[in-house]
Amino acid sequence: MRTKIPLIICLVFGVIMFAQYFSSHPLALKVYNNILEWWQIIFAFTLFIGVLAFVKNNLKNISRGKEPIYKLIGLLGLVLMPILAIAGGTGIDSPFMWSFDNMLAPMQATVFSLLAFFVASASYRGFRARTVSATILLLTALIVLLGRIPLAEMVSESFPKLTFWIQSYPSMAARRAILIGIGLGSMTTALRVILGIERTYLRGE
Amino acid sequence: MDIGVLVAGLLTLAIFSFLYKDNPVYKAAESWLIGLSIGYALVIFWQTTIVDLLFRPLFSGGRLILIIPLALGLMMFSRFSRRTAWISRIPIAFMIGAGAGVAIPAMLYARTLKQMSACVMPVVENGSFNIEALVVAVGVISTLAYFYFSREHKGFVGKTARLGTYFLMIFFGATFGYTVMSRMSTFIGRIDFLLIDFLHLIK
Amino acid sequence: MMDRLRTRWIIFSGLAIVVIIAYMITVKFKTAPSPATLKAYDYIESLPESSVVIFSFDHEASSLPEIKPIALALLRHTFKNNIRIIGLSLFAEGTSIGFNLLNKTAAEYGKVYGRDYVFLGFKPQYISAILGMGESIKRVFPADYLGNAVDSLPIMQGIENYDNIAMVVSIADGDRTVQWVEYAGARYKQAVMAGLTAAMITSYDPYLSSEQLYAVVGGLRGAAEYENLLEQRGGGSRGMLAQSAAHLYIIVLVVVGNIVYFRSRRRRGEA
Repeated sequence: MRTKIPLIICLVFGVIMFAQYFSSHPLALKVYNNILEWWQIIFAFTLFIGVLAFVKNNLKNISRGKEPIYKLIGLLGLVLMPILAIAGGTGIDSPFMWSFDNMLAPMQATVFSLLAFFVASASYRGFRARTVSATILLLTALIVLLGRIPLAEMVSESFPKLTFWIQSYPSMAARRAILIGIGLGSMTTALRVILGIERTYLRGE
Repeated sequence: MDIGVLVAGLLTLAIFSFLYKDNPVYKAAESWLIGLSIGYALVIFWQTTIVDLLFRPLFSGGRLILIIPLALGLMMFSRFSRRTAWISRIPIAFMIGAGAGVAIPAMLYARTLKQMSACVMPVVENGSFNIEALVVAVGVISTLAYFYFSREHKGFVGKTARLGTYFLMIFFGATFGYTVMSRMSTFIGRIDFLLIDFLHLIK
Repeated sequence: MMDRLRTRWIIFSGLAIVVIIAYMITVKFKTAPSPATLKAYDYIESLPESSVVIFSFDHEASSLPEIKPIALALLRHTFKNNIRIIGLSLFAEGTSIGFNLLNKTAAEYGKVYGRDYVFLGFKPQYISAILGMGESIKRVFPADYLGNAVDSLPIMQGIENYDNIAMVVSIADGDRTVQWVEYAGARYKQAVMAGLTAAMITSYDPYLSSEQLYAVVGGLRGAAEYENLLEQRGGGSRGMLAQSAAHLYIIVLVVVGNIVYFRSRRRRGEA
């Protein structure tokens, strides 16, 4: 029962959502709209599971003395945002929005900008013309790097032209082949899931 | 100085301190960021989904059918007990099944067929040779050959697959170039904030 | 080990110095628009007044420095041409960013909330949200971000689904635009264009080539091109010298790294 019920539910809703693509009958549309709405609601609950797991994990670490200060700081951040939202709403001048603008967004952006330094370091250490393939990769990267800056454009208009050509034809062709592969793979996997052959999602209790 | 800019500036510098080495100031800022991000998502999910799509129509609008997703959503919490964890498979199966159902036509039509048909371009058009059409056709076929593992990569298939790797390298090289561009832009954005808003060094 | 650390710090310091110095110098570049940017600009330019466009902020706060100039340029152009905007987000963090940017640009052009623009907020599970809006936008978003009933807003009168939307502009740092193309585009024939971080540009080239994606404004460079077309300097144009300097710095690092590598290989070969 523990496996059969989920498999049946997966099959039923998979078939309904697949079949509705070919029907514009009012009943089919009604069922389709309801399922789309339910899907969003259930998905939202998954976040709350994640939040609870985060709290549980942090409290466990605090009680065991594993970096308790940092865990406590994390929990305080988690509690702060809902408190601010309850106290002052989420409008444009609310404390909630202030916290987003002046704490969350700048920190997120800065963490991401650290990657600029690691990319620079990787360019020096790892970008070596060891083989024909590596040389092609390196040359293409250099052409694109030059082709998209105004300074190189002032020297010669060939730089951006060559960049767009590479991007629009040989590079695009490889990406297109990858997309076709992913498309076929996703379709097969979806079919296997609906038919109950692929059951990985049933693991982990 | 505006208190918000001061806070944002100090937190920015705390994160940048990681470039020297991992340190307590960075770790504290990182934990604070994780907590804030989760708290923020919690508020947004609650307000825009649970309240707008569930509670308001169910309790104020009387749409009783919404008891079904509410029950399915609550089943997710069964994961916290070993004995009842299997119940959470039901809402997961619902989402996976619905997702798989809508994915099949989308993947077939919008991705596979559309992309395949876009490859078909005339190589000779109005008497002139269209080199780009040939490059795209050869590029797609040879790259697909590289990912074709049902036959050993020897002889003609091997050579085609090898050509495919060169096309892949061109794609990876172009992507690397654009990724560098992207990361540098993000860093420039932070420098913009530090120099203009925080330190007032330039206007 | 110490040598590796020292090299790392030299590379890091070099990048910081190059970008900071370049950013402090003001140079006005004439950035020629890429074909994709030009197509996006021409489209907004050709739209009749009072058309309705959806701006979907499908990104996280991490890419804000790159996304912001792109979004501002596109929003300014749209408001300038008196086109109405429905804002929404399929990423939780894009919600606050989208709401702020929309209000900021609307204020610049004296636009009124609820009449000229609206922000519907966020919905999770992007595929179901995108498909759901194809049937009824009001069903997916019964209330806007501020809690107003969507039915009560003048801008939403006569707006039922994608049939009433001229274009979806997805401002993204990942593959959310793909879902707009593959679900709204394929099933409901909704036209989609994108404002993307540079890192995503090559991933979207096949969709541009197959014309499933109408146009792309990509990266800080794309923002600078758009600002040039608009004749309104912004974050994109301001960052172009620093961007050029950073690219040249990376090129120098690659070249030096290769020289060091080949010299050490030759030395090993001789030994």
